[in-house]
Parts: sequence; C-alpha cells; structure tokens
Amino acid sequence: MTLTGMKKHIGVLERTGLVTTKKIGRVRTCQLGPRRLEEETAWLERYRQRWDERFDELDKVVEELTLKEKSDERKNRK
Amino acid sequence: MNARIESESGPVKNRTTVERKSDREVVVTRTINGPARIVFEAFTKAELLKRWWVPRSMGMTLLSCEVDARVGGKYRLVFDAVPEPAAFFGTYVEVKPYSRLAWTNDEGGEGGSVTTVTFEEKDGKTLVTLLESYPTKEALDAAGTGAADAMVETFDQLDELLVALGESSGQ
Repeated sequence: MTLTGMKKHIGVLERTGLVTTKKIGRVRTCQLGPRRLEEETAWLERYRQRWDERFDELDKVVEELTLKEKSDERKNRK
Repeated sequence: MNARIESESGPVKNRTTVERKSDREVVVTRTINGPARIVFEAFTKAELLKRWWVPRSMGMTLLSCEVDARVGGKYRLVFDAVPEPAAFFGTYVEVKPYSRLAWTNDEGGEGGSVTTVTFEEKDGKTLVTLLESYPTKEALDAAGTGAADAMVETFDQLDELLVALGESSGQ
C-alpha cells in the first residue's frame, strides 16, 4: 500500500471514530478511538457466553456425579 | 426417590459473570450445584473434562483429551478443526485438591495465558472463580471466542464499512 493510500484509509477510520491520530513532529500516531467501547462490550459478552455454555455442561456432569454418589452411599448403608 | 424429585424440579441455573480486572486479566465466576470435591474432579479427570469443556456453539469436536493434573504435569486437548486438528496444551503449575488449580496455556507460544481456578464450597454448592491472565493487553484482545474467526469477522465488517464510507463520500 502506498503512503497516500494508507493516509486515505486512516482518514476514513478517523472520521468514523474507530481511530484517533496525533501528529508529533514527522510521526503521526494512531490509537483506537471511542468506537472501541462497543467492541469491548461485545467481546466480554462473547467471552461470557462461551463460559456460560461450558458451565451449563459442567453443571450436568456434577449433578450426575452427585446423584450417583448419593445412591452409592445409600447402597453401602444397606 | 428424593433424588428423582430433585432432578425433575431441576436445579436453578446460576449466572455466569465476566469482569475485566485489568488490561491483561479477565475473571469469570459461576456457582455450580455440587460439592467442591466433585467440581474439582470434573476439572482434573480427562473422562469428565471432555464431557463439558467444549461448548457446542464452538462447532468443534474433541479428538483426544489427556490430563495429568499434578504440579508439572501436562494436559493436551486436540480438536477436530479446519483445515487441520488444533491442539491446546500446557502445564499445571498449582494443584491443591478441591480448592485451587492453575495451568499455563502454551499453544500460543510466548503470548500464552495462565488460568487460575479457585473452588469455594458453601451449602453443598461451589463458587468457581476463574482468572485468565495474559502477558500483554494485545494477547488478551486477541483471545475471546475463537480468536481467528472473530478477527476474520471483524475484518470483513471493517471492509464493508470502508466500502460503504468510500461510496458515501463520493470517491
């Protein structure tokens, strides 16, 4: 990509708020802009859902083992 | 008989919470309906772990699961991924039966995270607190759910956005 092309891309990103830039001397530094907040929330929610599903399955496994243990105890008492 | 009645009414589904503790750390909590001893077993025995570790929505099948839950012991999970099977592996760094477990996630090389899990039992239920600690903020950002897929999706959306914006600005 040419420098001009890159500038154009960054310009578009800047206007949408995805990126903010700051020029110090000859160097322009880019940072993620305010739009990042929404992504952050979506990221956390995806993360939460993955673990939620995992723990739902874990609940089933633990419930089954707990019931089995209780019935084994009952058998042993006889 | 009691057991049957209990399972028919169904246990309460507990909430899973996620919190970003810092730039590099995420904490997940969830109460599981069972004693810590059994929850700990479900984390440390391969035949149990493989029954719950892979959520259906991830669209992957577990091909193999090896777990040696001792300090210095290794684990290795292999998934049926496209274009080739993907392995997740690491080493247990802390193993305190029924209360604490920690392992490294080494498949990503240098950028690997450390997962620490604590188990706290109360009234026959167990609060599971899982801390995922990444070496850098970037490594954490790249994680999430199926990092590669999420990034492809993100870039696709960015592409669409750029096209739309290019058109609207009359270029």
